[in-house]
Amino acid sequence: MSRAASILQRRESLAAWSMVAPALLVTMVFALYPVLDSLWLSLHHIFIGVPQLGSPFVGLDNYLTLILDPVAQQALVVTLAFVVLSTVLELACGLIIALVIHERFQGRGLVRAAILIPWAIPTAVASQLWRYIFNDQYGLANLLLFGERVTDYIPWLAYPSAAFAIVVLADVWKTSSFAALLILAGLQVIPGDLYDAARVDGASLWQRFRHITLPLLKPALLLALLFRTMDAFRVFDLVFVMTQGGPGDATQVLQFYGYQTLFTEGRIGYGSAISVAVFLMILALSLTYLRAIGSSLLERRRT
Amino acid sequence: MRWISSRQRIPRSAEPSCVAVPRWIWLLIFLLAGMGLGQAAIRMDAGPEQPPPITLRFVSWKPDHPRVWDEALAEFTTSHPHISVVRELAPHSSTAYHDLLTQKLKNRDATVDVFFMDVIWVPEFAEAGWARPLDQQFTAAMREEFLPATIEVTQYSDHLYGVPSRIDAGLLYYRSDLLTKYGFAPPTTWDELSRQAETIVAGEGSANPTLRGYTAQFKQYEGLVCNMLEFIDGHGGSLLTADGRYSTLAKPEALAAVQFVHDRVIGRLASRAALTYQEPESLSVFLQGHAVFHRNWPYAWELANNRSRSTVAGQVAVMPLPGFTPGRTAAALGGWLYGISAYSQHSGEAWALIEFLSSEAMQKKFAQEAGIAPSRRILFSDPDLLVAAPQLRNHFAVLRSATARPRSPVYPAVSHLLQRYFSRALAIDGLDLAQEAAITDAHIDRLLALTRVTP
Repeated sequence: MSRAASILQRRESLAAWSMVAPALLVTMVFALYPVLDSLWLSLHHIFIGVPQLGSPFVGLDNYLTLILDPVAQQALVVTLAFVVLSTVLELACGLIIALVIHERFQGRGLVRAAILIPWAIPTAVASQLWRYIFNDQYGLANLLLFGERVTDYIPWLAYPSAAFAIVVLADVWKTSSFAALLILAGLQVIPGDLYDAARVDGASLWQRFRHITLPLLKPALLLALLFRTMDAFRVFDLVFVMTQGGPGDATQVLQFYGYQTLFTEGRIGYGSAISVAVFLMILALSLTYLRAIGSSLLERRRT
Repeated sequence: MRWISSRQRIPRSAEPSCVAVPRWIWLLIFLLAGMGLGQAAIRMDAGPEQPPPITLRFVSWKPDHPRVWDEALAEFTTSHPHISVVRELAPHSSTAYHDLLTQKLKNRDATVDVFFMDVIWVPEFAEAGWARPLDQQFTAAMREEFLPATIEVTQYSDHLYGVPSRIDAGLLYYRSDLLTKYGFAPPTTWDELSRQAETIVAGEGSANPTLRGYTAQFKQYEGLVCNMLEFIDGHGGSLLTADGRYSTLAKPEALAAVQFVHDRVIGRLASRAALTYQEPESLSVFLQGHAVFHRNWPYAWELANNRSRSTVAGQVAVMPLPGFTPGRTAAALGGWLYGISAYSQHSGEAWALIEFLSSEAMQKKFAQEAGIAPSRRILFSDPDLLVAAPQLRNHFAVLRSATARPRSPVYPAVSHLLQRYFSRALAIDGLDLAQEAAITDAHIDRLLALTRVTP
């Protein structure tokens, strides 16, 4: 009896494994292998331009260099500032957009579609667009601010802090609608009778938002936060197209620095160390978030 | 419903042709066989000289004058009917082109035969084994015909890796009409240039309020290194020591030159916007008549005097860039070489293409129609060419004495450190320049030491 059960169990687990195998294989080949390979490469000194040096194993030397590298430090600060600023602004804008397009009004479908346009534009194109908007001679920003007074025109991207702010602005413009979409999905699962009951009890609009919408929106907000933070951490194309990291490294972010080291400089070992460092940071971040989201979901089920 | 009906229709209409096809096939087979036999017979007649057709792949940047390049390649295919050339166009920017090309070469991509090589890439391409040495084909007698500076840059550790295509050097363009109007002779030092520019900008202020003294390339990118090298060189400084082992940014001459650009050029002589300019943006400011002086490569001459693209055509003159003492000039050496990939299967045909494109006739065509400065000596005294492009007479001296950027197989990494230093020095006010220079020196020294191949 127990033998038959164990055979059955074994057969079942075999079947389970065989069904999971393709997905597992794909993950191994396309996700795990590159990560492990980068990790391995990051423990070597490899200069593509100087193959005579070979690829000596140097242990954690690249990581030591990375910690002391002022460019990397600067890039880390800029990246973190970018992540925090852009994520907070995108969630705020996304929430407002979601609340608006959740309401019933004439032409809602059109507005919903229009909201998604910035998100649908390829980032490289959007970046080019914003670069033109802030152009020093024929940019829209200068035209709106100064009109015909061409001598007052400001070369926005030539100022380190302005250039950074513009990169953030471009990202907020582009991806707020994505956050809005996630939040809208959260809004739609909040049952309408909760609001009816609150209205009967005489709750004001603000009270309904503060005590019904916001708490019930928490999972969706956290999800949007998770996606946006991880995405913001990987910011690359905006910087590549708009500023190339300048002026004076004011918009130098980790991913662009990694790209420069790997692809332009051909420093495979050091470049891999940068990518691995970014990977570890995103991993830590997502684990923290997932734990937070998981517990918030549990809380909701308990109540 | 419509979909279903159309699906039903397909087999019905296909049926009759199924029956008819065999006959056609037989007829076709006979016809093709006959043609094949005929062709074989023709080939037999022509003898073994006719080589099999091959396709050369030429990775190139997007040219300014695509028509001229199309014509040149068409001419090549006419004289070499068995070779067809397929061009793969990469971005215009040197760095973006470098990244794309080296990505292919790292993967030993056999579909790259001929490519352009920036003069600063030769050590890297040679050490990495990407460019085929051309010592055999590019004989000493042939090299004699080129400007020595352009041959020097093709060499690395006793081998030649390319054939000069175009040579570039930094030049000073200026508004001859404005200088004449204010009675100025072309400036010989940066101080003189600043004073002339200030007078002209003040005098023209009411008519042209956006006029600035100078425009050049100060964005954080490769061109910034060229621009700053010229200031440093004009001040008697250098980027590296003569043996190429140590960085010399913290030397007083180099520091003073950078300080000058920060204090006197950015935001004063030139608009602060120059910190965002590469070649096209800075040139467009000049072409719209918003700058008295402009630093650019030789290609700008043709555009500056092209009436459909420039508002100052006919009012532009060109001269060597000034230094900080009278008589001293400075120019960064740039330019492009033709190279053959080490992984090419058709190096013979690739050489034929390079020989054709770098021939006297083709260089003359490129100079006349695309404004590209030739690398062959004889063209600088070619009467036709000097009529079409009189500026070449002035270019010759500059091109001959231009200063090369550091030559190292890890130049891209060195350049990134230089770009960062220069961009920070110019964009950030109140920076401790000496300290910043010393830090950059130390970084570059370490990088050079780390990658020094001990012979």
